[in-house]
Amino acid sequence: MSNAREFRSKPRLTPARALRITCRHVVLALLAIFWLIPIVWLVVTSFGIDKGPNLSTFFPKAYTLDHYRAILAPGGDSVNQFPRWFLNTFIIAVFTCLISTLFVLMVAYAMSCMRFKARKPLMNIAIILNLFPGFLSMIAVYFILKEIGLTNSLTGLVIVYSAGSGMGYLIAKGFFDTISKSLRESAYLEGANEFTVFWRIIIPLSKPIIVYTVINAFLAPWMDFVLASLMLNSGVSAQKTVALGLFSMVDKVNRNNYFAQFCAGGVIVSIPISILFVIMQKFYVEGITGGSVKG
Amino acid sequence: MRNRKHFLWLTAMFMMVCLVMTGCASTDQTQPGVTDDPQATVDTGAVTDAPSGDTVNLRVWVGDNEDVAWINQVIERFKAANPSKTYNIDVGVQNEGDCSKVVLSDPEAAADVFTFADDQFNSLYNAGALMEVVDDPDGIRAANTEDSVAAATGQDGKLYAYPATADNGYFMFYNTEYFTADDVQTMDGMLAKAAEAGKYVAYPMSNGWYFYSFFKGAGLDMHVMDDGVTNTCNWNATDTEITGVEVMQALLDIAANPGFREADSDPFVAGVKDGSIIAGVSGTWNANVAAEAWGDSYAATKLPTFTVAGRQVQMASFSGFKLVGVNKYSDNVGDAMDFAAFMTNYESQVSRFEMRRQGPSNVEALASDVVQAEPAIAAVVSQTEFADVQRVGSKYWDPAAALGKIIVNGNPDNQDLQTLLDNAVAGITAPADQ
Amino acid sequence: MTSNTSARKQPAIIRFFASIGAFFMGAVHAFAQGDVWVKLSALLWGVSCLARRQFVKGILLIAEQLLILWAFFGLLWPYLLKFGTLGTVEAEQIYDPVTRRNVWNNYDNSFLILLFSVLAIALAVAAVVLWLRNLRLAREVELRAKEGKHINSFREDLRDCLGVKFHRTLLALPTAGVLLFTVIPLLVMILIAFTNYDRNHLVPSRLFTWVGWQNVSSLVNLTASSSFAYAFRNVLVWTLVWAVLATFTCYIFGILMAMFINHRDTRGKKFWRVCFMVAMAVPQFVSLLLVRNFFADAGIVNTLCKNAGITDWLHSIGAIPTANYIPFLTHPAWARPMIILINIWVGVPYQMLIATGILLNIPTELIEAARIDGANAWQSFRSITMPYILFITGPSLVNSVVSNINNFNVIWLLSRDVYTTSDQLMANANANEVDLLVTWLYRLTQDQSNYKMASVIGILVFIVCAILTLVAFSNMIKGDKEESFQ
Repeated sequence: MSNAREFRSKPRLTPARALRITCRHVVLALLAIFWLIPIVWLVVTSFGIDKGPNLSTFFPKAYTLDHYRAILAPGGDSVNQFPRWFLNTFIIAVFTCLISTLFVLMVAYAMSCMRFKARKPLMNIAIILNLFPGFLSMIAVYFILKEIGLTNSLTGLVIVYSAGSGMGYLIAKGFFDTISKSLRESAYLEGANEFTVFWRIIIPLSKPIIVYTVINAFLAPWMDFVLASLMLNSGVSAQKTVALGLFSMVDKVNRNNYFAQFCAGGVIVSIPISILFVIMQKFYVEGITGGSVKG
Repeated sequence: MRNRKHFLWLTAMFMMVCLVMTGCASTDQTQPGVTDDPQATVDTGAVTDAPSGDTVNLRVWVGDNEDVAWINQVIERFKAANPSKTYNIDVGVQNEGDCSKVVLSDPEAAADVFTFADDQFNSLYNAGALMEVVDDPDGIRAANTEDSVAAATGQDGKLYAYPATADNGYFMFYNTEYFTADDVQTMDGMLAKAAEAGKYVAYPMSNGWYFYSFFKGAGLDMHVMDDGVTNTCNWNATDTEITGVEVMQALLDIAANPGFREADSDPFVAGVKDGSIIAGVSGTWNANVAAEAWGDSYAATKLPTFTVAGRQVQMASFSGFKLVGVNKYSDNVGDAMDFAAFMTNYESQVSRFEMRRQGPSNVEALASDVVQAEPAIAAVVSQTEFADVQRVGSKYWDPAAALGKIIVNGNPDNQDLQTLLDNAVAGITAPADQ
Repeated sequence: MTSNTSARKQPAIIRFFASIGAFFMGAVHAFAQGDVWVKLSALLWGVSCLARRQFVKGILLIAEQLLILWAFFGLLWPYLLKFGTLGTVEAEQIYDPVTRRNVWNNYDNSFLILLFSVLAIALAVAAVVLWLRNLRLAREVELRAKEGKHINSFREDLRDCLGVKFHRTLLALPTAGVLLFTVIPLLVMILIAFTNYDRNHLVPSRLFTWVGWQNVSSLVNLTASSSFAYAFRNVLVWTLVWAVLATFTCYIFGILMAMFINHRDTRGKKFWRVCFMVAMAVPQFVSLLLVRNFFADAGIVNTLCKNAGITDWLHSIGAIPTANYIPFLTHPAWARPMIILINIWVGVPYQMLIATGILLNIPTELIEAARIDGANAWQSFRSITMPYILFITGPSLVNSVVSNINNFNVIWLLSRDVYTTSDQLMANANANEVDLLVTWLYRLTQDQSNYKMASVIGILVFIVCAILTLVAFSNMIKGDKEESFQ
């Protein structure tokens, strides 16, 4: 990957240019501050002394670790069961991630590298299905799960999150489209079958798109509360996911006692996600752009 | 019809059809070995699920996490009082204000015993989710206040829920540093004092629940009709002693007063804490906030009068109760009813008051000196005289809130007041199937 | 992607029906011309396989057929019979004082009837397709046998599953998942638009039934003074405005930001990028709920503005109705722009990330050539960078508009429990000024249990999205620029 601009020789540093460069960085800094203010507020509130939202000053009057202690070791608290939520969500996320990634790669390979009669119609159907608002069908999905007896269970949520994941194949397909056809053809000549090509050639070449898919699939259960609130309706706090649980902390009744814990929970969830993002940033960018070039 | 196992079969088969459609079924087709067919002539899901021995499983929803300590104590006493059976009781928290939404989305999955605010009684009753109180309804009626029993009675005159508290109405909090007991008799007096001090009297005007007070106080009515879903409303009347337009004008005057502030839950709490709100209408759930912020000068009383068409009119209100319902679809309705009755009996209501400062609906408990000494509860009781049991169809809330919002904004488009009322009434009385 | 549009192509719809017809006729011919085993296999699917010594396949086919028949007639048939009425027996219970339990009658559950009927119909269609297909295959195998050609053994069939028919293996499970958890639920919910499933007809205690086009007409009837029709028009307009604004603001700011950061004069590119990405890493519901408290009427921003005198000043120029607070999220004139701004805050980092990737991929020769031709920064941006980015992200722009039409989180998290409309007709339909069609839909189902109207709205959302997509794509294909960068 080469950057166009690096071929240019850098102009000399005149005072006017120095000023421009300074301005550029000041603007960037201002923008960054604008972007970070809410995050900073999240962090300071989570360390603040108030239990509820701090409404009078930006920074809390005093700092404490109590909210972190409370959220990590809730004991018998009926609202806050954060460690359980975290565990639940983690389990759901791992399995969703496995199944979804597999589904996406499978569908993408079939659509990108193979030619069969139903290919175009299936792709069109996927486009059409994506145009329907997702939770229109939520209630029906709930009743289907209930008939199988999987509401209020982690398995049920894994199914809900991963069953339709095959339809999100487009970006991965775009990525596979960019892999040179000759690679596959030479493999066929050597007697490889489709499975071998898929498993031995395409998958190893698809690191960025796999990372991209894995991150997306892994994150979904941490972010979703709409489906989760419908599927987990027992009212028992220990069965909730992180999103649902944190959400319950800021409803009308609990907000004044749990807002700071909500912030602490938010920070705790964000840390692994941020790390994931920063580490995977390169792959992630390659994955999206590689995929959308042909998209 | 509960045939989960059928569905397992179907799912397995669906997968198989898809596999075979590919023309290459793999050989290791495993099918779940489920054969029994629960689709009997009478669906006795309850009986087939019957627990072995004498263990009874119950799920209970309380409205607030702070109720959990209390309910656990009730459960212990309940178990002690019924030693012949083994009870396995799970406690969940389901906000009383949202309880009906969750129950209605699937009654079969809801808790056996749940607590809800009386404004949801109608929806739950209409959806057929509530079990009629068949064990000693007259005893329940006799033990609780008349209004609370009325709030738990269906259109057919039968009792469908157990009254649990009688403190869910609203009243006036005030700070005695700024107001004398005389000042708080009239809204005008309060607003004047507040404006003078540069502070505010809070009222959640754009909330249908509180907004009702003014119209009802002025003699205009709104309630659900006998079908239990459609509202009747004469707020736009022109032939009454006080017309709707006059009430609207009075409200616009109140909202325009510099001492007035529209504030529901959050802004109210915030304002009380930072001292800008020195009086306001809210309920017992905010009593602690006000008591902490104002200390010794914390006081509560009935709602004041307000000026309409040159007269002083006492504000009415909705009385509010928390009710305990038994799920009709519970597998153990009998035991659920036992527990519901137990968690709303005299001892439980007293302990609820002691632990949670929630005012009892039990006549005997309510009459006790300790309860009467609590300012918030005394205020609820003194407002009772002007309070109505809430009988409201679901179409009321949004139109009423919109009308309140327009008043708070000072009717910015200068719309004709009668038109505004006509629109609101059209929405409130719209057929419920729209 | 190659543009191999041949000149004489029939409309897709005709080709579609033609292929169905061909498929059907093929099966009929196969049946008419086939030998006795082929004819028998129309009754019992695997027979002809058994006759050609494909034992495992034959047995599997027979098992499959029996399973389908059993499921259809044994399980789903009772529901399908009630499909016309959606049930007639209302739930009734009698309390048995001895067992202390409720005894229920054998009542109908309209929703389950609908659900299982749709399943039954889907199963029937699948069974017919399989049946016809098996006939054709049986005939093919017969012909091969006659010509003395090789007939695949089961082992070879299995091998094909990883070879030429690998796509079937790959697609089987994902398709099954989509069918069961997307397609069938969607069909059920579409059908609900034609029933009276609302809070007066909630299952399991009550029944609902078919009402025809009533719900649709009360929503789209332009002449009616129905508050639903009014609310629908307003919500639709705002939804479209929102979708376009939300998409393009994020898009443009994202690209600008990426270029700004990637500029040769910027130091510490990685650092800046991470700064903006932190906002992306906080789960959206956390950051949005946070921002909402931030801008609440009694929130921190309002306190600061009040202390700084901004609130009073705004009041004095008449920009806000009360002097107490700025209604950031509670007044339509403020809430709508605020929501777009907050969406920029949420969405730009993601766009920036994508744009960064694209910028790094711009063919170097192009820019070099432009520079040699004497183009300045702006010219090369306008004539090279921008068209290039547009070319790559153009199709996904349409997708973003569609996904913004369905962007539930931002609006719902920012407005729930906070926003009260002052538009009476909207209120009468339980809508408000900042509602998107999807948030309105959600509120109708969750708060009002008004599933029938929600379903109609859902279908209309689909129609809107479909029209948009069609128009956008047909225009894009007209201006065919594919070759310019390849």
